Amino acid sequence: MAKVVLENIRKSFGSLDVIKGIDLAVEDGEFCVFVGPSGCGKSTLLRMISGLETSSDGRMLIGDRDVTHAEPSQRGIAMVFQSYALYPHLTVRDNIGFGLSLAGRPKAEIAAKVEKTAETLQLTHLLDRKPKALSGGQRQRVAIGRAIIRDPKVFLFDEPLSNLDAALRSQMRMELTDLHARLGATMIYVTHDQVEAMTMADKIVVLNAGRVEQVGSPMELYNRPASPFVAGFIGSPKMNLYEGAIAAAEGCTTYGIRPEHLSMSTSEGKWKGTIRHIERLGADTVLYLDQPDLMSIVVRVPGDAELALRQEIFVTPVPGKEHRF
Amino acid sequence: MIVQKSPYPYWFVMPAAVVFSVLFLAPTLASLWFSLTRWDLFSAQFIGLENYRQFLREPFLIQGLINTVIYAFATSATKSVFGLLLAVLLTSGIWAQGFLRAVIFFPVLVSTIGVGITFSVLMHPTNGVINVALSAIGIPGPGWLTDPALALYSIILVDFWKGLGLATLIYIAGLASISPDYYEAARIDGATRTQMFFRVTVPLVRPATVTVVTLSLIGGLRSFDLIWAMTRGGPGFSSDVLASVIYKQYQAGFYGLSTAGNVILFLLIGLIILPMTAWFNRKEVDL
Amino acid sequence: MTRRQFYTGVISLAVAGVIFILPFVFVLLTAVKTKQDAALLTFSWPVEWHFLDNLTEVLRTRNYMLLLAYFNSTVITVCSVTLLVLFGAMVGYVLQRRPSGWNKVIYAFVLAGLMIPPAVVPTIWILQSVGLFKTLTGMVFIQVAYGLAFSVLLFRSFIATIPRDLDEAAIIDGAKPWQIFFRVILPLLKPVTVTVIVVQSISIFNDFTNPLYYLPGRENVTVQLTLYNFQGQFQTQFNLLFMNILLVTIPPLIVFVFFNRQIVAGMTAGAVKG
Repeated sequence: MAKVVLENIRKSFGSLDVIKGIDLAVEDGEFCVFVGPSGCGKSTLLRMISGLETSSDGRMLIGDRDVTHAEPSQRGIAMVFQSYALYPHLTVRDNIGFGLSLAGRPKAEIAAKVEKTAETLQLTHLLDRKPKALSGGQRQRVAIGRAIIRDPKVFLFDEPLSNLDAALRSQMRMELTDLHARLGATMIYVTHDQVEAMTMADKIVVLNAGRVEQVGSPMELYNRPASPFVAGFIGSPKMNLYEGAIAAAEGCTTYGIRPEHLSMSTSEGKWKGTIRHIERLGADTVLYLDQPDLMSIVVRVPGDAELALRQEIFVTPVPGKEHRF
Repeated sequence: MIVQKSPYPYWFVMPAAVVFSVLFLAPTLASLWFSLTRWDLFSAQFIGLENYRQFLREPFLIQGLINTVIYAFATSATKSVFGLLLAVLLTSGIWAQGFLRAVIFFPVLVSTIGVGITFSVLMHPTNGVINVALSAIGIPGPGWLTDPALALYSIILVDFWKGLGLATLIYIAGLASISPDYYEAARIDGATRTQMFFRVTVPLVRPATVTVVTLSLIGGLRSFDLIWAMTRGGPGFSSDVLASVIYKQYQAGFYGLSTAGNVILFLLIGLIILPMTAWFNRKEVDL
Repeated sequence: MTRRQFYTGVISLAVAGVIFILPFVFVLLTAVKTKQDAALLTFSWPVEWHFLDNLTEVLRTRNYMLLLAYFNSTVITVCSVTLLVLFGAMVGYVLQRRPSGWNKVIYAFVLAGLMIPPAVVPTIWILQSVGLFKTLTGMVFIQVAYGLAFSVLLFRSFIATIPRDLDEAAIIDGAKPWQIFFRVILPLLKPVTVTVIVVQSISIFNDFTNPLYYLPGRENVTVQLTLYNFQGQFQTQFNLLFMNILLVTIPPLIVFVFFNRQIVAGMTAGAVKG
């Protein structure tokens, strides 16, 4: 178990700066999620922590040890890949035990450890299968098993759920959260999916173009986004963001209000708009309004609201929920 | 900048690089020097371009050069044309298609010397099976390998027989990579079978054509075994090619001259293949 | 299958039978004939079947030269194919996985290896100076040098289909570079390795020119060289000459029957990509 500290970490490929100086501390036992749009550098940063990529500059500590120049296998980390990266020619048993076998550990010890790991993950009945004969969720678990058996101080996950279907994904989210609670290990998790970030993280790190945009707990990011970027990235449907005259009227450069923080009325309100499009999600209904000044507003209303296309309605921001940047 | 040890170390390349450099690159470079010498493996005496001059002076050496070019282009052209036609036939779902493919391909795998000996017996001017069969239907068979005007072409025919299967196989792979959508679209546009062949198949099978033409040209220019097994370059020098000239000069102990022949063959291949590859690649862009 | 497809098939098979199968039947028939019968060169049923007699006589010729030739050819083929697989896979691996300025140089050499005819006499000169001329070892290394380009290309394009994640997973599992290669990558190369083995074995077993130049001498004779030698000696014993051709044709036939798919894969590699 260990704390991970990054100090002014940088990475460039030739003249292209991918990571532009990151300072970050991931506390011992924390579940930390790196989130951001594709190309923001989140996977590169994770690979730098793993040691698969070198840092061009800066210092990196895992559990008070300087690992900036350490080999991946010497850092006390384990990694679960997006593709799982299970060795296709080895059985589940040999996949999980591969690292120990490379280290030349006695066969009996490897066998015992593999059994124990398999039990924790309910993989015992699959031990003699090849990865090809496993379902997506089972492969995922084998990949986790291969990580657990190394008894790492830090687990690294690189978008591990993106190859699964929606139902399995939400199940695996829960399993991973359980696993974290059980092992109490430090985990760093990369995703582009803000739902995964919100549901699993103790701490979210929002990355944008190689820089940290904001660090905080899920609700901090939701309630007090530090920038329009974070505001737009966290929360679904996206926050309504306005610049120019409207923002100026509100006394800021960017004005934002979340769809769920607009109250609707058929008689009066701050803005009057025409319903252009209705999305019925069941519990909620999302309305897309045309409004002369704002151009477009997205509003979230209860699922049973009786509304029709082209209907004119009024919306008003809930006091105290507006964001001014 | 921090340098980390790569997981893909260059020493993996070393064993191969050593063997390749010592036994292929070094002799190739050395040949440039030794082709300018009179050489008996122990001492080499520099004689400038004399070996090359001799090559271009001796009629039988020039004959070899011309024969090499004829041989390469004739085998390459016939293999690519008939290979494509056969490939179309053997992908059209005819009866015994798989067996036919195997039958046509098998000669590719057989010993060239064995094929050469077999055909030189089949092509025997009087008792050979081919001429016996021809005379049975009233055609006087020619002296396939004994007529100096014909010998080279008889060998080309056998080379074609032996290599056709490979060309066909490459074309079959090329045809398999063409999406059937194109043929369906062409049919909806009202194309006839002939139109489909020339307007869809031929242009889209281009990569395979490039492979077949390049492979058979290189193979043809370097060809030796078959010619040696069938005629030893004869009658006279009528079916000699560069590779057989190189061997004959080597046997005769003219190592410098033999090596000059090697360099000429090397230049000839470069002069033909490199511009052709460049041309093929440039046209590829337009596609 | 339509009637048209059926009849086209029948006609094609008849034509292919005459052109492609009859020469082999001729070899077989001549190989079992008596000396006098074979000398007629006719395509006819043997008057007497002398299969075993001819076989033993061919084997006994020149003090069991053919057996020695089979031994030599086998040694050369097995050793050089083993090295070609190992070296080819290692080069293809680094070439595919580690992009660098060197790659262009290596590619240039690979293309040169495919295209340039070996400079024969200088090669003999080098073999002599390292003491490998007229030795099986020398022949093995020659075959490796000449076959490398093809092996490297096949391995390189296959390795491109193996996800790099596997290498990285192995690195994190603590694998050293040679462990990544031998324990993760090499086992995954099985399909292309079979192709390389089959295609290279056939071409090395059938090679005539290189043993002719680099392996002169009775004790170094290879299978193809025996054919060439017997062609002179058996001018009047066509039955024995053809028995030898028959024997030389059998190994590729067996390989063809069992590994047709791999041969096709190897021979057409690159045809589609161009």
